[in-house]
Amino acid sequence: MRTAEYKVPGGKLLTAEVEEKNGVLVHVKISGDFFMHPEAAIIDLEAALCNSPTDEIEDRVERFFYVNKVSLFGVSPEDFVKVIKLTIIQ
Amino acid sequence: MTETWRLIDMRIEDAPTQMAIDEAIAMARIKEGTPNTIRLYRWNPSAVSIGYFQSITKEVNLDACKEYGVDVIRRITGGGAVYHDYNGEITYSLVAPTNHPKMPRDILASYELICGAIVNGLKELGVESEFKPVNDIVAGGKKISGNAQTRRHGVILQHGTILVDSDIRRMFQVLRVSDVKISDKLIQAVEERVTNLRRYLERDISFDESREALIHGFENTLEIKLEAGELTSGEKKLVNELHEKYSSKEWVFQR
Repeated sequence: MRTAEYKVPGGKLLTAEVEEKNGVLVHVKISGDFFMHPEAAIIDLEAALCNSPTDEIEDRVERFFYVNKVSLFGVSPEDFVKVIKLTIIQ
Repeated sequence: MTETWRLIDMRIEDAPTQMAIDEAIAMARIKEGTPNTIRLYRWNPSAVSIGYFQSITKEVNLDACKEYGVDVIRRITGGGAVYHDYNGEITYSLVAPTNHPKMPRDILASYELICGAIVNGLKELGVESEFKPVNDIVAGGKKISGNAQTRRHGVILQHGTILVDSDIRRMFQVLRVSDVKISDKLIQAVEERVTNLRRYLERDISFDESREALIHGFENTLEIKLEAGELTSGEKKLVNELHEKYSSKEWVFQR
């Protein structure tokens, strides 16, 4: 399990806790002081990232926010990608 | 004609009860068409509330909470961790439909309106403060209020904290502040980023005086009249049900 923190310019903090096996994410947990409406969508986002090859993270996050009616405040979909990728680069 | 909203005034309860009441009022507003409501309240024992998405172990020093008898709870709203000091903090909550004529459809604009009520209330006390998007109110460049909103089935629930005479040292004993979060701030001590009404005004300030100013702030900004009321029997039933969720380890430690 690896964790990374990413401070979004302007205030909010994102943390990702990721377990990766052979280039595939097997566990993803995101936390932080951001706002997401509806709140329960975070669980769906994490599920959408589970079993994702590491080179598909961007696509999966993008698709999630395209398909689902979810609003974000204080962070953007790109910030989620950034913090998850940070756990892998480490 | 000025619209009348219900005021549930300065109830003192523990953390699970306070969070259950806020959610119960929002749920009842959806189902039963209960009145639009403002609550002002205090937490006894003092408590830390964390945002829905926050990691409890990352944000809260659980040992310090235990040592000082501070409760820990997870909110249904996003945003950051708050120390609700029984002796120095007032929390408000607002429940109204998203299609209320005074409420902007845009979420950020509705934050600005509701936070504007706090700003106007503080002005009456002599505090010059301003809304700082997304969800803060600052006075003299320091945070004096944090706010969080959720919307469900056409109803807005926004709650927030007003630091009256909070023990700021204790606040940073029970809250953990990430190194990453501090690093881009120029101010050396985290404690210097936060203020309260007493520090700002450099005088003693009572809960009564603060409460009155906040009531005026809401009435004048939203152009409403607040009339003291109680929870309905339906709401009380919901509070009992929700209390169990908010007290459970599964809820509090889920992230």
